[in-house]
Amino acid sequence: MNCAHRSWDLPDSAVTPEAYYLRRREFLRLFGLGLAASAVLPSTSRSASAGFPDSLNPNYKLDGVKLTQEDLVTSYNNFYEWGLAKDQPKELANRGWKTRPWSVEIGGLCANPRKIDVDELIQLLGPVERRNYRHRCVEAWSMVIPWDGFPLAKLVDFAQPKPEARFVKFTSFFDPANCPGQRSREFPWPYTEGLTLQEAMNKLAFIAVGLYGKPLRNQNGAPLRLVVPWKYGFKSAKSLAKIEFVPEQPMTLWNELAPNEYGFYANVNPTVDHPRWSQKAERVIGAGFLSGKQPTLMFNGYEKQVAHLYAGMDLRKNF
Amino acid sequence: MASFQMKFLIKVLANKLFALAVLVGAGIWLLILPAFTGELGANPLEKLLHQSGEIAVWTLGAVLALSPLRVLFPESRSVSALNRHRRTIGVSACVYGLMHFGFHLLYEGDAQAITRSFSKPFIWVGLAGLSILLVLALTSNNFSIRKLGGRNWKRLHRLAYLAAALLIYHQAIAGKGHWQIARWLLFALASLQTAGVTKPLMMKLRRPRRTISILGAAATSPP
Repeated sequence: MNCAHRSWDLPDSAVTPEAYYLRRREFLRLFGLGLAASAVLPSTSRSASAGFPDSLNPNYKLDGVKLTQEDLVTSYNNFYEWGLAKDQPKELANRGWKTRPWSVEIGGLCANPRKIDVDELIQLLGPVERRNYRHRCVEAWSMVIPWDGFPLAKLVDFAQPKPEARFVKFTSFFDPANCPGQRSREFPWPYTEGLTLQEAMNKLAFIAVGLYGKPLRNQNGAPLRLVVPWKYGFKSAKSLAKIEFVPEQPMTLWNELAPNEYGFYANVNPTVDHPRWSQKAERVIGAGFLSGKQPTLMFNGYEKQVAHLYAGMDLRKNF
Repeated sequence: MASFQMKFLIKVLANKLFALAVLVGAGIWLLILPAFTGELGANPLEKLLHQSGEIAVWTLGAVLALSPLRVLFPESRSVSALNRHRRTIGVSACVYGLMHFGFHLLYEGDAQAITRSFSKPFIWVGLAGLSILLVLALTSNNFSIRKLGGRNWKRLHRLAYLAAALLIYHQAIAGKGHWQIARWLLFALASLQTAGVTKPLMMKLRRPRRTISILGAAATSPP
């Protein structure tokens, strides 16, 4: 990728050591914790379920943006596998549903297919880093979430896709015995999503395994989920069971159910309305009862990083 | 003993205060109490918007269920007790509908956003249904019945069925998957209506002479 596109990398002002200077105590504390941890844990088998140190990647700090409170991020979830109401996932996904041990299948058109335990995968593709990302739901609300995880590109590199692979298909878990929503035949479970290979290779595309430094809660898509911050939230499939490299655009759940409402690309775009509501503005979760509305940004504010992926494309048609 | 309990139950069901308590109670239970217990959640206005809409459409469903129930169970005293509250229930549906509309305006937040929302067919359908409810609520008084004449008033109030169709559709497309909720209301109402219409027809076919006068009364009873 050429340097002109790398505007998401540090602006000059942020390169100064000041940010690090201000966080020096955290570094000291972390260093101390690390020493303590290495004394207790065998260094090769540190499980991610213990949590993640705050290793904020300074390129994704989102200066001047307020993070959404943790209890809101973990209590207001669209996760239809557990029910249609936003407070249901927190309640129903925590009644004994096990998200560890958990294995992920990496397959399709790639040279290195395998089924791998999630903690092994994290160890292989880590270190885990933190990124503060804007999260814009297609329902016109938004959050800012500190995710812990690793770039999706690392996983793609690890899988070594073959030249015929043009898309990546993400499939969530399927467990109707434990999962009330999946017993409904209204939805073509399991949940599926997809990206073009170029989108998957973009620096912003992320696999989250935690948030706010803790392993992902079940209602947020434990143990690992996709995070594609320039697209509407439904693209970021939760609780992944399978990641496949495919030659054609994969069928995805919402696109299959309502193609006129949920496109395959689903890039955040204030100029293209949802059939039932405007996308020009969003309600900021946690910003107050009446005062929480703000204008929605093109590509959710990540235009510089991703607009080139859609050069020459009619975004009205490919919504 | 049993009949004493039954009488008491019917007395309660027929009581105006009971009806009011249930109808206002739904609002307190689903809109006001959650505000104090924190159960409105991360997006409180959205929750209020959804809950008030649900109360409105189910209340409308309840009032529309009453006339077929009366045809199906002409002897039932609890059904006729409940039928005394048609006006109260119908007006409540409209009040909750207006609250729902108010929450929509608050949720959109500013004049521009409100105007934008009015460009959506989804919103028109809801507004059309609510407008009908408003006209019906405003004419739900003895003065209007006298002024319009019973026959015209009845005709006007049959629009409640159109309002229900519009509002159940509005509810069904309100969210991804909300058809799952709306269909229970639609199927229940549709089967009650069908049963309410077919029962007198069947009786007419079976015993053509004896029941004609009763049937006439049932068929012209207000919706």
